[in-house]
Amino acid sequence: MSIQRRQFIAAIGGGALAGIAGCSGTGGQAQSDNGSSAGVAGETLTLTTTTSTYDTGLLDAIHPDFEEMYGVTVDAVAQGTGAALESARNGDSDVVMVHARGLEDEFMRNGYGINRRDLMFNDFVIVGPESDPAGVQGMSSATEALTTIAEAEATFVSRGDNSGTHTKELNLWDAAGTDPGGDWYQETGTGMGEALNIANQQGAYTLSDRGTYISQRSEIDLVILVQGPIEGGPEILANPYGIMAVNPGVHDNANYDLAMAYIGWITSPGAQDAISNYQMNGEQLFFPEAVSENPDFQQYVPEGWSSDSGDE
Amino acid sequence: MVRLSNVSHAFGDETVVRNLSLSIDPGEVVAIIGPSGVGKTTVLRFLALFLEPDEGTVTLDGQDVWSLSEDERLKLRRRIGMVFQEASLFDATVERNVEYGLRVRESWSDRLRDELWSVLGSNGTPEAVTEALELVGLSDKLGQEARSLSGGEAQRVSFARALAYEPNYLLLDEPTSDLDPRNTALIEEAIREARDRGIGIGIATHDMHQAERIADRVAVLLGEGVAEVGPAERVFENPTDERTAKFVSGELVY
Amino acid sequence: MPLEPVAQLLPAVVDLPFREGYVRSIIFVSLYVSVTAVTLSTLFSLPIAFVMGFTDFRGKQFVKSVINTGMGFPSVVVGLVVLFAVSNQGPLGALELIFTTEAMIMSQFVLATPPITAVSLAAITGVSDNVRDAAHVLGGTRLDVALVVVKEARYGIATAVLAGFGRAISEVGSVLIVGGNIVSSSGISKTRTLTTAIQLEARQGQYDTAMVLGAVLVALVLTVNAIVVRLGDEGVMQ
Repeated sequence: MSIQRRQFIAAIGGGALAGIAGCSGTGGQAQSDNGSSAGVAGETLTLTTTTSTYDTGLLDAIHPDFEEMYGVTVDAVAQGTGAALESARNGDSDVVMVHARGLEDEFMRNGYGINRRDLMFNDFVIVGPESDPAGVQGMSSATEALTTIAEAEATFVSRGDNSGTHTKELNLWDAAGTDPGGDWYQETGTGMGEALNIANQQGAYTLSDRGTYISQRSEIDLVILVQGPIEGGPEILANPYGIMAVNPGVHDNANYDLAMAYIGWITSPGAQDAISNYQMNGEQLFFPEAVSENPDFQQYVPEGWSSDSGDE
Repeated sequence: MVRLSNVSHAFGDETVVRNLSLSIDPGEVVAIIGPSGVGKTTVLRFLALFLEPDEGTVTLDGQDVWSLSEDERLKLRRRIGMVFQEASLFDATVERNVEYGLRVRESWSDRLRDELWSVLGSNGTPEAVTEALELVGLSDKLGQEARSLSGGEAQRVSFARALAYEPNYLLLDEPTSDLDPRNTALIEEAIREARDRGIGIGIATHDMHQAERIADRVAVLLGEGVAEVGPAERVFENPTDERTAKFVSGELVY
Repeated sequence: MPLEPVAQLLPAVVDLPFREGYVRSIIFVSLYVSVTAVTLSTLFSLPIAFVMGFTDFRGKQFVKSVINTGMGFPSVVVGLVVLFAVSNQGPLGALELIFTTEAMIMSQFVLATPPITAVSLAAITGVSDNVRDAAHVLGGTRLDVALVVVKEARYGIATAVLAGFGRAISEVGSVLIVGGNIVSSSGISKTRTLTTAIQLEARQGQYDTAMVLGAVLVALVLTVNAIVVRLGDEGVMQ
């Protein structure tokens, strides 16, 4: 049996087992685990994720459903992409939710993460002042827009913090074949909301995830100049989220059962619906990707992996 | 009786006492006199069981004090009171100052109980405290902050503080040198009163006339460890050493 | 008590976009962590100050320089060290302290101890030798004398404790790293303090909300200071 299918069955089987285990436990009330029954009730799941994900408020909105169903508590720790993965690597968290496919793949390749599932997606947008000094409005190529900004030396604010957004930004520069540098390119090392404020004050361009932009829109004067794929913009600005459990083979104190129960729940139709119904300032922020007529088996393995290659 | 026998002591190169023998009996006043810096305080500290002399023995009621354990020595030390030249009162009320000696002699459980009661304010004042304050004429200052007293009043409270727990011996280090005549007289009156109650008193002073007024016996420290010890009258009228004679007559000997 | 500024703040507080109990819970976590850390630190620091002040031992200079360095030590570095210790991979990993208030107390303990020790040391060595001698000569054991010194130096020690408390409750770097800034989905703080809540609002660009939380923090510190000073005054007023 190929690795792909084994992992797929393991994922389904694990999810099912966890689900059954949850049902047979004392679900509904947080009581202490009484050993013999397989319930996870009363336990705490530590989930590390990025600051932009957490700041949308999505997790606080959907977690109560999971917590009630199993009688558990979810501790969502917003750390930023790098730190979230590092915590998982150290065994300080049980499940990790980020939106940086390259880093997720590395995580899996090194054996720290298993049972990855596609979770949801939103997108990035390029925002800037209404006056649009570089003239990138409406461009259908994100890389072309960035090149234009660089050539015009229009002020551009970068996260500069190795977050998911920053990683995407660097990938775009890379794809555009441009190396950003100079007075017009400002690396702030701050969160997305702050970066938007800084860009707003300077009338600068920046790359933002749609969610943060929407939540900030009433406070700033920046407008969307290049759309993301949700509104018909280039596919390269897509922002897919993945979820992985920490490998109990590496850290035996990782709460694997509960992590799988969580993954099973959040990729189930009910939760995926809740995700798509979540709105901020009247707009949908996330688009579910876990439930599909034709499941993408590539979601379980590092990108580019095939059963023919030597990768394990 | 507290007794120093053939005690010698030096600080660095300087010999302070050499072969000094001195005792204090209950109910007598012994004055230790000499100019400032000659070593009066050191002698008092021997008597207070505070400082161990380089040579010689210190006994209290026959017990060799420095051959005992720290705990046993503490028990003996607690039978002695001391008043310094500076009042050194605690930053608290007069009452709390005077009762200190009583408190530290209580068992911990009693102390805890009394502390709690005094915090709640339902404590009466121990009799010993009121009596001691009466002796120095400061009964009305019970609740006053110690730091707000005048110099003379503070020294009198210091005296009461040393008396409150009824020590067998009381040592006073130049207690009135900073005081005006009135307060000096009050202290000397209190000293007499204490002596009449049977307390053995040692007082260090550079005031000859004070020694004449209140001492039963004197020890005149003459420097370089020399001293003349004897009944007050005899020393003042018929001193053995000529330096004593000069000192007694007011001449500067050094 | 400066009630007017507080009254002016209230409308803003009431308008805050927070759920019921959120602000109260983060104030509670802030106080719980800092008060516990400062209490433990005081119990630890006072004996050290005594030993430093009244005895001589080898390495005393070294301890003194450690304390002085500790005064200005960056809090975020302390956080990293505590993280290293309590992380699953670290020596204390088995205790499962990561992302808990206990880990936060640990790091604030480390931060508060140098100022409390240093200021207490100054206070107790400022007590005159004569007073110590008096306590001793009146029949006090070493412990009795130590208690007298503590009482004599009480104002200085109170200042030390307040200095430690100020440092603890205002710091954000270490509690963020070891605590994880966690709030339950129902809006009750698990490891979020006023300072980390401010940091969260600021990173989202919600500066107004951050300012209000900042005002709450300042009011809290002023209140604690006022209480401690008031208690001290009452001793004098008697």
